[in-house]
Formats: sequence, C-alpha cells, structure tokens
Amino acid sequence: MSASLLLVILVAVAYGAAKVAFQWLGRHFLIVSGAEYLLLGILLGPQVSGVLSEEALRAFTPFMTLSLGWMGAMVGMRLYLPALVRLRGVFYRVAFVQSLITLFVVTGSSVVVLQWLFNVSSAYALVPSLVLGAVATGSAADAMELIVRRQGRATLVVRQLEVAVWMDSLVAIVTLALVLCLSHVPAPQLVRSPTAVEWAVISVTIGVVGGALFHLFLGEERDQDRLFISLAGAIVLMTGAATYLRLSPLLPGLLLGTILVNTSRNRSEIVKALTSVERPLYFVLLLCGGAIWTPSTNAWVVPVVVFVVMRGLAKVGGARLAARFNGMLPILGNNWGRALLGQGGLALAIAFNYLTETNAFFPNIIFTAAIASVLLTDLFSARLMNAAVGASPHAIRASGSVVAPAGATAPAEPARPLEAQPAASPPREDAVASHEGKA
Amino acid sequence: MRRLVILALLFGGMQLVLVAGPAEGFGEALLAFGFLILAAYSVGELMKQFNLPKLVGYLAAGAIFGPSALAAVPAEAVADLSPVSDLAIALIAFLAGAELEWGELRRRGVALLKVTGIELTVTFLVIFGALLLMREFVPFLQGTNTLTTLTFAGLFASIAIVHSPAVTMALLTETGARGPLSRTTLGVVLLADVVVVLVFSAALSAAQSLVPSGGEGVGSLGATVWEIGGAIPIGALLGGAVALYLRFVRGELFLFALLVTFFGLEISRLAHVETLLTLLVAGFVAETAAPGRSGRALRHAMERSAAPVFVVFFALAGAKLEIAELIALWPVVIPIVLARAFGIWTGTRIGARVAGIPRAESDTLWMGLISQAGVAIGLVTVAEQAYPAVGGTMRTILLSVIAVNETVGAVFFRRALARAGEINAKGAAGFETPLGKRESGAVEAPST
Repeated sequence: MSASLLLVILVAVAYGAAKVAFQWLGRHFLIVSGAEYLLLGILLGPQVSGVLSEEALRAFTPFMTLSLGWMGAMVGMRLYLPALVRLRGVFYRVAFVQSLITLFVVTGSSVVVLQWLFNVSSAYALVPSLVLGAVATGSAADAMELIVRRQGRATLVVRQLEVAVWMDSLVAIVTLALVLCLSHVPAPQLVRSPTAVEWAVISVTIGVVGGALFHLFLGEERDQDRLFISLAGAIVLMTGAATYLRLSPLLPGLLLGTILVNTSRNRSEIVKALTSVERPLYFVLLLCGGAIWTPSTNAWVVPVVVFVVMRGLAKVGGARLAARFNGMLPILGNNWGRALLGQGGLALAIAFNYLTETNAFFPNIIFTAAIASVLLTDLFSARLMNAAVGASPHAIRASGSVVAPAGATAPAEPARPLEAQPAASPPREDAVASHEGKA
Repeated sequence: MRRLVILALLFGGMQLVLVAGPAEGFGEALLAFGFLILAAYSVGELMKQFNLPKLVGYLAAGAIFGPSALAAVPAEAVADLSPVSDLAIALIAFLAGAELEWGELRRRGVALLKVTGIELTVTFLVIFGALLLMREFVPFLQGTNTLTTLTFAGLFASIAIVHSPAVTMALLTETGARGPLSRTTLGVVLLADVVVVLVFSAALSAAQSLVPSGGEGVGSLGATVWEIGGAIPIGALLGGAVALYLRFVRGELFLFALLVTFFGLEISRLAHVETLLTLLVAGFVAETAAPGRSGRALRHAMERSAAPVFVVFFALAGAKLEIAELIALWPVVIPIVLARAFGIWTGTRIGARVAGIPRAESDTLWMGLISQAGVAIGLVTVAEQAYPAVGGTMRTILLSVIAVNETVGAVFFRRALARAGEINAKGAAGFETPLGKRESGAVEAPST
C-alpha cells in the first residue's frame, strides 16, 4: 500500500476519532483530543504493526517540519503587544518565574539522572537535559479554551493561565532554539564556522527580517485565499531557511507571527488564514510523531519516569512558589499550577525538532518522554484545569467586575485592579478567532 | 512592484542561506518551495494588472526561477515536489466533474460528442499533414522511410491533439466564469481527454506492430479498456461515499476536500485506472447525489483549497520548462503550434455546425481548446519509453509545443470568456451568501 494512501486512511480514521473525542468526550468527560492521534500513530508505526514503513515516514518529514514553523507562527500570533501591555506586570512575573522553575528543575534532575544512568559528563548531559526542560516547560491551551467556553466567563486565574501558557511556549521555544545554536555542528563550507551567539543571531534574523519583509509583502491584503497563499509561502520559506541551516524553525516562526500580528492592520484575517490549516498540520504532527517513535536502545524507563514526575512537581510547586513570591497566592489558589500540567503539540514539536538533529544526544529518550507526558496529561488536563479554575477564590466576569464565589471570603484586594477592565479584549478576540478556526 | 522588490530581496537572502548551510537534507526543497509560492503569487498578481491570466504569471515565475534559468529552484526540488502536482491534477478533475450537471449532459451530450469527435479528427489530420510536409526539418522524422514517418507522425499527432483540463479549470476558477461557452469548453476538454487516451493507446499499439521499438511495450487492449472503463465504477463509488459524508457529517469541508482528492489519487493508482476520469466521475456523482446545497458547499471548499494548489502546480509546470530547448527548436515548434491552432479552429467550426451549436458560441470555442498541460506530458513520457531512440527528440519538441500552448492557451481562453461576457467581475473571490457559504457569483451570459 502506498504511503500517501496510508496517510489518507490514517488521517481519515484519526479525524473520525477526533470528531468523537473533541465533541462528545469533551462535552461529557472533559477530555481534550490529541492523545488518540498519538496512540494511533504508535499502533500503525514500525514499532507495533509496521503498516507505516520507515521510508514512508521519511517522506512525510518535510510536512512535519513545516508544522513546526506553522506552530511557531501560531504561538507568535498570540503575542499581540498592545493588548499584552495592558495587563499588569505581576501576571508576567508569575508566569515567567513558574516557567523558569520548571525549566531548571527538570533540566537539573535530568542532568543528574543521565549522568548517573549513562555515566556521561555533565557537559554531555546538559544539552539533552535542556531540551527535556524545554519540553517540560510547554503547556497546552486546548483545555483552557474548553473550560472558558464551558464556563462562559473569564476568571482571574484563567487570565493568569492564558499568560502562563504562552509564556511557557515562549520560554520553551527560545530554550530549544538556543540549545540548537549551542550544539550546532561546525559549518566547514564557510571560511569560519559561526559561534553559538552568531547562530542565535542568524536564527533571530531569519524571523525578524522574514517578518518585516512579509509584513510589506502582505500589505493590506484581506482576501483569505491570497493571504493564505502568501502566508503559506512565507512560512514554508522561513521554515526551509531555518531547517537548511540546522536551526529550530520554531523561533523564526514565532518572531514572524509576532511581527505580523503587531504590524498588520489585517491581523484578524491573518490569524484566520493561519488557523485554517492548524488542525490538519497538528494531525500530521501527532500521527507521524507517534509513528516515528522508537524506544531507545538505552534504558529509557527511568529518565522518562523521572521526567514525568519532576515535571508534575515543578509545574505545581513552581506555580505555587511563583504565586507566593508575587503575592498572588490568595487569588490564584494553591493548586493553580495543576492547570498547566497538560501538554499538547508544542512538546512533541520540540522533541521532534531535536530528533531530526544529526548530532543529538539521547534523542529517543527525549521523544519518548514527550510522548509519555502528552499521553498521560492529555486525558486529565481539562479536569485539572477545571479543578484549578473552579477552586480559585476570585472570579472576574467577562465584563470585568471582580466577584467572590459564594461562601468565600474575599481576600484583600490588590492596590489596584490586577487587570484594567477593557484590557483583555483584543487578545480574547484573537483567542476566540483562533478557537473558531479550530472549531 | 513592491512585491517584486521584496522578492528580489528574498532571492538575495536565499542565496546567503544556501551558502551557509550544508548541501543535504530536505531544507533546501522547503526553501525553494516557499520561494516558488511567493514568486508565482507575485508574478501572477502582476499579470492580472495587464489583464492576463494569473496562471501565465505562475508559469513565468516557474520558468524564470526554475532550473533552466535562474535556478533558484533546483531540479531536485522540482522532482521532490511532484506529489503536489499529482494532488493538483486530482483536485482539478474532481472540481471539473462537480461542474458538470446531469440535466445539461442529457440535453447537450450528443452535441458535445459531435463537436469533440470532429475537432479531434480535424486537428489530428492537420498536425499529421503538417509533420509530413516538414519531415525534413523534424528531427525524429529525418531520414526515415515512409512507413516509419507515417507511424511517428501519427503517434506525435495523437498526443498533440490533447487539451488541458487543468488550464481550463484554473481559468474558470480564477475568473469565476459561468455560461454556455464555459460549459461547452469544459465539456469538450473533458470528453477529449477520455477520447485521446483511447486514441493514443490505439496509435501506440499500431505503431509498435508496424515499427518495432525495442522499448517498453504498451499495455494490452484489456488493460486500456480497464483503465478507462474501470475508472467509472471506482469514481462512482468514491463519489457515493462523498455524498454520504455530506448527508450525515458535513463538517470540516476544507479538510475533507483535500482528503477526498488524496484518496481518489491513491485509489486510481492502486486500481490502475485513469486518475482524471476517476476523480471526474467522483466529482460528478458527489455533486449530483449530495443533498440540498451541500454539494455546492463542498465544491466551494475545494475551490478554496484549489487556489494555493493551482499556484504551485503551474509554477512547478513552469519550472519544468526547458527554455534553451524551446529556443533551439522554435523553427519546428512554431509551425506545429500554428497547425494545431488551425486544426482546432477548423474542427470546432465544422463540429459546431454539425452539432447545431449557436454561432456566437462556436466562434470563440476554439480559443478555449488551445491550452495543453499535464495529460500531454504523461502521454509523451509513455511514448518515450516505447521508442527510446527517437522518443527523446519527440518529447523535447512536444514539451516545447506544450509550453507555448500552455501559456498562449490561457491568454486566448480568458479573452474568449471576456468576449462572451461570462467573466464574473469579482472573479473567484466570491461573496458571502446568507448561508455563509462562498458563492461564486456567476453571471450567466445571455442565451444565444
């Protein structure tokens, strides 16, 4: 059977599963779809049934790589600065601190485990550990969108979670990009091989210059077909440039998306055009990600278990610490970090990006850890999110007025409202647009 | 102009990237692919300002940045992107099938058959005659005996008569044209496509029995009959499945449209049936059997996904053009192109008179039949495999003829549609209906 037909059948089956999972399960059991694609990919991949051969999977690699650039652009589209600056700094401090705690805790524990298990130097273990840290930092927004839609109102904790999710994405993407620059193979075809800093500058330049040029290229275009063609060309070109230079396409994609959403007057049309193929690309990434999974020949169980456990602890504990340091604990509650446990396509994208690197250390362990984490957390992420949101003592209606839940004693109000009331409208619009695109 | 300046900057940036990276991996193909999309889009928009079809711009961009000119897109990348072309062909065929209406087929089927049959016969004879007249100048006929000359001229002519459903559909989608001329042209092009596959198979069988080749043999008659006949039930099954989906599910039409074309493409390959005909029948059955307006909704979803696919398809077609060979062979190519055009002009006039097609329609019908593309390239590849000794030269001349016709044909067809008043002022951009579906906003030409 040919590879294309297999892919079609796979996507068709997964699509049917997603229909059930996304609509029925989501409505009744608060399960966010995603894991079923991965499982399907694993079952049909060379490791289990072998229906999808390794050769066929290699043919789909460019599409998976393209989905990385696209995913980066989607994350960048959430960074609409005029709306972000209206939120108070404490939201960002909390989000940033919890991201860093997760990154450092998982990286540190991974260094220790890899050193102990494989008897390698700490310098050798640092690169894969940092990638594991980046994978761990990422959290999924799907569950949050489901909860917000279900509750029909935005609470302060939801607002904090929104900031935390994109901050996690930002930290994860930047970390991976820097790691790939640090561990970049020498370029013998050049007179002098660029340093890690220079590779980082090149990576940023691809995104910034690309974003600026494509901003001019797109102009005031509002027609969806034309916008889609231009955007597709821009993202394919930018992804190709980064991949060709063995850099992560996620960071240039993120910068491209950020520049476009902040400089274009037609940003809602751009977001709509981008989100129209987000799902097909996400399907391909999850399916093929599951199929290309290879259990490491090394002992992978211990690092993966440590990763999952440490990530859980770091997310919950880190979020609690970050809230306490910034005086937000009474508002967010002790367990708001549980809502960040869910992992989605970004974790896989980071792991896949590292897997395609020729000089990667322990790539299969990292990929296995990402898959295990996605499978485990996807089933419970919406429930955890729901529990965290429901448990938060403060709620803020969509109109912006702060209300305390029945039976709860309102904690001391901050010096001024944490969020200026009309502030969040623009990002919410984008989020809604993004969500509508998915639906 | 702004876009062209940016394109030049991107081209420069791409050269910098290519210097700094390793010459391996798939990054280069992605890079070239992205650039090709942007280049084709920009040149296409430029052409629109000159009232030329955008697809001419896509072809031009492909040719300019392709391996035979600036080589921004290397030959390997073009080869890597061939699945995109296959997808485009499948999508075009499904869309073309969905455009056909059962009532119209019943009403005008016989007339279309008459026009198609006469047009193809006359064009075949004219090209055949022209080749015999120019035999001393045509490389693959030089110094051959009479039997070989007649055989190769017949084989060449059987390929040269084919039209291009791709260009026809792309133009109809781009301009949003609806009307008698659009429907007749599409009908003739699609019918001719089926007939030509049969004619070519017969011509190749006859040729191989008259002039043994030493190359690959043509399939048996049974295989040829299956290739055509088998496509109908398989396409009908696929179309039925699509209609069922539209009845019971309906969601995610954009994604579903892409899946259907992928699926049809693979099914036809596996079953060894004609891809175009399979998807054509599937599109026709799906549109006819789908409940209410859901068939139209699927068609619009497909038109939506077709826009970027057309850009890539024609840009890749342009990138495959051998400009140097075209320039070298122009003394042979131009007379063949003119002879073919004359044959089409004469054939459609006679055919239209026999079939009772109104004069106003038949006067411009020939302009829609000039274009050639994918099917002809496929047939010439088979001929090359059958006759390796002369097939290369035949292929080069035919590809040059196709290159000219592909470009000129699109311009002619657009002009014909404009003259017939069938071009929708809004083009394919469409507008929102109360149901929220994209409506092509067709403007019917006054009945002639």
